[in-house]
Amino acid sequence: MLSLEKLTKKYGDFTALNGLSLEIADGQLHGFVGPNGAGKTTTMRILATLLKPTSGTATIDGVDVVRNGTEARRLIGYMPDFFGVYDSLKCWEYLDFYARCYRIPSADRKKMTERLLDLVQLSEKKDAFVDSLSRGMKQRLCLARSLIHDPKLLILDEPASGMDPRARAEMKTILRTLREMGKTVLISSHILPELSEMCDSLTILDHGQLVFSGSVEALSEKMNGNAPLEIRLQEGCGEAAVDTAVACLKELPFVKEILQEGTCVLKVRTEGGEAEHMQMLREMISRNIPVCDFHRAPMNLEKVFMEVTGDA
Amino acid sequence: MLNPILSFSATRRMRSFKTLLIAAAYVVVMLAVTLLIMGRIFGNEATFYSIRNSVTCYQAQMVTQFILILLIAPAMTSGAIAGERERQTLELLLVTNTRSFRIVIGKAMESFAMLALLIVCGFPVMCLTMVAGAVTLPQILIGELFLLLIAFASVSVGVFSSTLARSTVASGVISYLILLAIGGLTLIPLIMDFPVEVTSVVYDTSSLAALAPGDALKMISPVLLCNPGYALIALLHGQTGMLTSTMEYREIGRLLCEFRLMDKAGGETLALISCGIILVLAVLLLLAAGFLLRKNSLKPAKRTK
Repeated sequence: MLSLEKLTKKYGDFTALNGLSLEIADGQLHGFVGPNGAGKTTTMRILATLLKPTSGTATIDGVDVVRNGTEARRLIGYMPDFFGVYDSLKCWEYLDFYARCYRIPSADRKKMTERLLDLVQLSEKKDAFVDSLSRGMKQRLCLARSLIHDPKLLILDEPASGMDPRARAEMKTILRTLREMGKTVLISSHILPELSEMCDSLTILDHGQLVFSGSVEALSEKMNGNAPLEIRLQEGCGEAAVDTAVACLKELPFVKEILQEGTCVLKVRTEGGEAEHMQMLREMISRNIPVCDFHRAPMNLEKVFMEVTGDA
Repeated sequence: MLNPILSFSATRRMRSFKTLLIAAAYVVVMLAVTLLIMGRIFGNEATFYSIRNSVTCYQAQMVTQFILILLIAPAMTSGAIAGERERQTLELLLVTNTRSFRIVIGKAMESFAMLALLIVCGFPVMCLTMVAGAVTLPQILIGELFLLLIAFASVSVGVFSSTLARSTVASGVISYLILLAIGGLTLIPLIMDFPVEVTSVVYDTSSLAALAPGDALKMISPVLLCNPGYALIALLHGQTGMLTSTMEYREIGRLLCEFRLMDKAGGETLALISCGIILVLAVLLLLAAGFLLRKNSLKPAKRTK
């Protein structure tokens, strides 16, 4: 569905996007994660034909977005990170306006408008003025607007930003429905856990460069492989036991880093795999160090995000 | 299918209480001007004095509306594109595959429709000048058509400025500056001396009297014909003989010669030519706005979340 190849965007000396290559399959709900300034919005604006890349190509369903912008715009529904709503227009008029901009025949417009208002749970607000809606409702109305011409690819730039938990939950439900409808959705956020709950796959960007792209499981697996070992010593074992443990670990050549957490927990980063870990545990036991627990510390997605974007 | 930008912008404008106020203020100004001049003849029998007064009143109404349109149009159109940019809805429009020219035409027609509404609101007040019998309905209708053309031209200047500017305020300022520049620069021929071949004719009363209308037309600077004010004076002179009294002055100055050339060439003919030129320029401005819209809109803009 979506293919980016060495996509680069420069603003003078500043490189907003640096050779991004990416493939997203049909019907995927793909998350685009990165800190502010990572290049998410730049990528999305290029896909929405609102920006021209400095180099590289972006194709949607085989259509080059730079060379054939008109055709590409028919395939995409774009929802930016701002509302872009008109006051003095009712909800149904707002959708009808965009439907007319897309030259949808009048016979289909009414049906389409009602169906979309129903999808975004705004049927009851059909005759309400847009400026009277809450933030979450406006966001949902904007989502309905981006769906008005039945696009294949939805580009949603931080759709949940500034929403309360309830509005976020509603948005997630709608996005799941869209996935079930077979839409390919590219959704950005700077909050990884938020996306990981609903996305099939993720791309993490940092400073305009690809850091990771793959399934959520693959990301967790990859990051857990780098997670530190957590060694808990017996409660009240005393400083002497901790010092002995640290001295023991320092003797092992594959131990890279030792951090003490609290009075009796050590976090150890190592090079090597299970064999080295077994050796480490044997050494500690043989020196009568009171080890109670020895396991790899689980990484939550917030930590993963900080880790991969280098801010840990 | 009716241009959606036109229909929805019009819907939004007509829902605003401000629109009603503008229309009311326009009619009030027209009535004030009319009553100031015509008030003295109401209730009296028709005399030469009252006929002359109604002609003056028609001229005053036309000049008033001309000035009002030039004042209102930039303020009304400044937000046409710049407002969409500020509201961050322009990008959304551009993503819908709506052609830039369709957006520009929709916005221009919506503002033009509003000005046309004002002009139509002023029509009954203009018809009051017919009471004394000096001004005819066809003359008023031609006057209204002229004002509609001026409204269209002013709107095209406003929409063009709105396409260039990043904000509504800047757009309004640019519009007024463009209108001032057009008004000022096209009057430059009036401060320049006539060419020798023209001087020999226009400063000589007998040669001027023998001048054919076609030859007089050739002597008028085409630059002057681009001036909407000149077009208005030509039209009013053609319709009402506005400048006839000046023809009797003995001393022949530069401006007076220009009036005499106008008189020779025919005021209505000149107004028609002038209107044609203004119309072409207005269409060119709208085409330029359509061309610049997408280019100018995709530059990074200041955002307000």
